[in-house]
Amino acid sequence: MECSSFGIIGKGYVLLASDTTSGNSIVKMKTDEDKTKTLGQHLVMTYSGQPGDTVQFAEYVERNLRLHQIRHHHELRPAAAAAWIRRSVADALRSRSPYAVNLLVGGFDTSVTAIKEGQEELGGTPKLYWIDYFGTLADVPFAAHGYGSYFVFGLLDRYHDPNASLEEGLVTLRRCIDELSKRLNAAQSNYRVKVVDKDGLQPSFNPVMLALLHQRPTLQDD
Amino acid sequence: MSRSYDRALTVFSPDGHLFQVEYALEAVRKGTCAVGVRGKDVVVLGVEKKSVLQLQDPRTVRKVVMLDDHVSLAFAGLTADGRVLIDKARMECQSHRLTVEDPVTVEYITRHIAGIQQACIFRYTQSGGRRPFGISTLIIGFDPQDTKPRLYMTEPSGIYSAWKANAIGRSSKTVREFLEKNHKDDMTRDETVKLTVKSLLEVVQTGAKNIEISVMDGFGKVSALDLSQIEAIVSEIEHEKEAEAERKRSRLAATAAGQAAMSARAGEDRAAPGA
Amino acid sequence: MARRYDSRTTIFSPEVEYAMEAISHAGSVLGVLAKDGVVLAAEKKVTGKLLDLSGATTGGYGGSGEKIFLLNSNVVAGVAGFTADAMSLVNYARQSAQRHLLSYNEDIPVEQLAQSLCDLKQGYTQFGGLRPFGVSLLYAGWDPHYQFQLYHSDPSGNYSGWKATCIGANSGTAQSLLKQDYKDDISIEEAIELVLKTMSKTMDSTTLGSEKLEFATLTLDPITKSPRAKIYRPAEVDALLKKHDLAKKEDDVEMSAS
Repeated sequence: MECSSFGIIGKGYVLLASDTTSGNSIVKMKTDEDKTKTLGQHLVMTYSGQPGDTVQFAEYVERNLRLHQIRHHHELRPAAAAAWIRRSVADALRSRSPYAVNLLVGGFDTSVTAIKEGQEELGGTPKLYWIDYFGTLADVPFAAHGYGSYFVFGLLDRYHDPNASLEEGLVTLRRCIDELSKRLNAAQSNYRVKVVDKDGLQPSFNPVMLALLHQRPTLQDD
Repeated sequence: MSRSYDRALTVFSPDGHLFQVEYALEAVRKGTCAVGVRGKDVVVLGVEKKSVLQLQDPRTVRKVVMLDDHVSLAFAGLTADGRVLIDKARMECQSHRLTVEDPVTVEYITRHIAGIQQACIFRYTQSGGRRPFGISTLIIGFDPQDTKPRLYMTEPSGIYSAWKANAIGRSSKTVREFLEKNHKDDMTRDETVKLTVKSLLEVVQTGAKNIEISVMDGFGKVSALDLSQIEAIVSEIEHEKEAEAERKRSRLAATAAGQAAMSARAGEDRAAPGA
Repeated sequence: MARRYDSRTTIFSPEVEYAMEAISHAGSVLGVLAKDGVVLAAEKKVTGKLLDLSGATTGGYGGSGEKIFLLNSNVVAGVAGFTADAMSLVNYARQSAQRHLLSYNEDIPVEQLAQSLCDLKQGYTQFGGLRPFGVSLLYAGWDPHYQFQLYHSDPSGNYSGWKATCIGANSGTAQSLLKQDYKDDISIEEAIELVLKTMSKTMDSTTLGSEKLEFATLTLDPITKSPRAKIYRPAEVDALLKKHDLAKKEDDVEMSAS
């Protein structure tokens, strides 16, 4: 719960960010933990919750989705993957070994139908799903988990734009991160950011992206 | 009652073979030909691809399949059996990654596949299953953190073995003999691909359009050659064969001419004393 | 002694071949893939003057009786072979599709449905039961990955995708007719015409009518863009035949139609 993760859909992409702190109660154990999982060419997930459960569950999901892709010669569409992940959480919740994990699943639907449905020039449709450890699934334009979520929904209500370019989307993300460092007691400073568009997962070392992320937004008076 | 009697009779043949295994091998021998060749740091799978019927969708005809990022498989025999066995192998590849956090080694997955095939025969002979898997497989790949190309074969009996080069399916004996004659250790990528195509041409009369080639250059580096690339190799091989034939012809002609000259001279020699 | 075995060495699983033989006498099923839909037609074999078809006049739930069945909202199938085996497979396919819906909240992709049935069929040639399923199927479906698709599966558990194909009696003749007349990118209307024309040439009976023919199409709903399967009711089949000038030319039929 101490972890914060965000997801934002923009024009032809979805971006996910997760802090990189691992700890227990008030103790920070690690500040470079990668709490994201690449689930396919066009699918990424962030996970938070009970350490151990999270990693176990993320790896289980990763392997099952990979198996599906190899078996059936195509990736699950983001909607189908999210539904399967939700069901896994929900089934586990009703078993003797529930997973305490909160997830954001971001993907890009490149199926022929998704391409035809209006966003032809974008090569498909970006999708974002919010899943909690009770097995709740929501299809959303932006999302957050953890303490951070108490601070950023207002910002995202105000600044989220589904037609924003990647640069604008990253600026919005920066706003969220800045707000946390300003107001959240146990704020994190390091985040891992993943972007998925029609060409798949963007390499996270993309220098342009990093530069943008570190550039502070200019706040306008109005 | 009569069934179990019949079954008991058909398990072993009088000369000690398992009948069903023999039948399975027969199914393999009727299957399309597949060739695997290992080079210095590359391993290649080539398969004979039946022509797709005019109204058939070529997407659904799959001869070389991926088991994991770093392992590919080709089979000869009953297609439905192949699909089911491949599915089990794919499951094991991901399951292995999940439990031990490492990709399978090529030998591991080969042993697993052979084990399934063997278990099937055991079940048949011991508790009355119906029949073994009617397929042989060639498995290529690279082990994690390793640069040595691997090639294995499994058979319906559940045997598996490592090879430098081998063939399964229709006319595999001819192809294997060809490979035995022409395989060299430490071949380059081009040489390996070429030998694969050349050996397939021993059984595939229709040329490039009925050949599929899959090349593995390292861990997770798999690529399939497209038709134009295979065509280029086939025509290169044909040119070489023609040149070779031409050389042979001219050599024969030369020898023949030499012989003719000699016998003419001999004739003269013989003629002279008589004159 | 040894000879008795030798005669069998080339037949690995003879039951599969027997099953295929049985299918070659079954009422034929024909499928054609168009750019905007798929068409299925099937020849009914169970006919007779006293057969009560009143139950079928409303179009039975999920099927038109003997040959064509709705497997899922995006897949219709035509079956050829032992009808009892077919019913069992249809039931399995419907469950399989529902399981997929439950897990993934989407309609099962067509190839995956065909594959799941084929895995079952393959299992019966190798392990359980005493004989394989004596059924071939044609699957006409739509999914977001590959749009409209047509598959064929046989008793051995093989399957493959087709643009147009036929199973059952006279399938060879039908296939060569299809090969001649099929063009890529035909429309659903042209496909319907092609199917009816081919059926009328290959069916044993001289006249076509709803008591001999089952018919279905799969298209996309123009508004919702979701797949819509239509299994024709007997009256609709007769109307379709009449439209294409292939209906029976009997007085009473014309009377009742007018």
